[in-house]
Amino acid sequence: MAVQRSDAELARDARSGSEAAYRELVARYATPAVNFTYRFVHERALAEDLAQEGFLRVYQRLNTYDPERKFSSWFFQVLRNVTIDYLRVNRLPTASLDALEEEGHRAAAVDRESASPEELAGRGELASAVAAALSHIRPDYREVVTLRYQEGLTQPEIAEILGLPAGTVKTYLHRARKELAEILAAQGWGRAPAEPTAGKTV
Amino acid sequence: MERKQLDAWLTAEQGGDEDAADAALAHVFAAVPKVQPRSVFVEQAVTTAWRWRAGRQRVLVLAWTAAAALVLAVVVFAYSASPLLGGSIVKAIAYLSGHTVPWLIAYASVALHGWLTLGHVGAVIAAALVTPGRVAAVVGVELFGILAFYALHRIASAERLGDAEV
Repeated sequence: MAVQRSDAELARDARSGSEAAYRELVARYATPAVNFTYRFVHERALAEDLAQEGFLRVYQRLNTYDPERKFSSWFFQVLRNVTIDYLRVNRLPTASLDALEEEGHRAAAVDRESASPEELAGRGELASAVAAALSHIRPDYREVVTLRYQEGLTQPEIAEILGLPAGTVKTYLHRARKELAEILAAQGWGRAPAEPTAGKTV
Repeated sequence: MERKQLDAWLTAEQGGDEDAADAALAHVFAAVPKVQPRSVFVEQAVTTAWRWRAGRQRVLVLAWTAAAALVLAVVVFAYSASPLLGGSIVKAIAYLSGHTVPWLIAYASVALHGWLTLGHVGAVIAAALVTPGRVAAVVGVELFGILAFYALHRIASAERLGDAEV
């Protein structure tokens, strides 16, 4: 059984000119990258374009990657910069709830090959609700939620990517969860509506 | 299943259990389908990167070739033209230094003299104006001004915060 090479090893080989290593790296991070950008642009084609741009920038800057750092942190930092650059130039209109629900269903449709119809129905409904709620919280909260719960990064890693103190990340996560819970509870999810958060930030 | 996970998270959130809420929301997100990139995504990313790499290598090769050619041309020119140029360059340097250096020294001397004169005039004026009484008066006025500015600043800050306390 072949031992899976680490991201840092792949990055080192890709930097030395190994196309196979770079291909492996792209294959590993393609889905997380597209999902990360998708949370900000709500359009699959655009999310893929941004992810492509992110991968190119990663390749161009492989010589600046420090193998002592976790590759995923560095990767998301580069990808985040690409996304921010895009959003600065092209201000996206605020999506309506209907449009977001539609986006949620679209997200549910993309992996229907691997799930049963019952699962798909449940997942689609849940995806719509969560995606819609996620789109209604502050962008910086959305960022930490995406990195924490979608990509499974730890709070120190998120702090490193965003250049924020760990305490701030913890606070953002706490407030983001509260806001998400309020939105979902208001939509009828959960047994009882959540209590309003004191000092809610708009 | 997903509904249960969502309920579990909302319950944990309401209960204020930070760790439980964190874990429960992670479960909720795990159940949310991910957007899958198109099948050509990886190939496209690799092709784009390798195209950029090839372009960069071409530019580097061109730059090195041009630099080497330039250096070679300069060396060849210097070697072949040195008997003709050497004498002229030495003469030009000698001419320029012979004409500019004495002028530079003369101007520097004049400027230094002017500066010393100004220094003397300033010292005489200062000796006439500065007496212990006048110095004490000036320092007193400055201190009074600083205190007045400080008091104004405190009053302005207090009013801004809605608490007039000086």
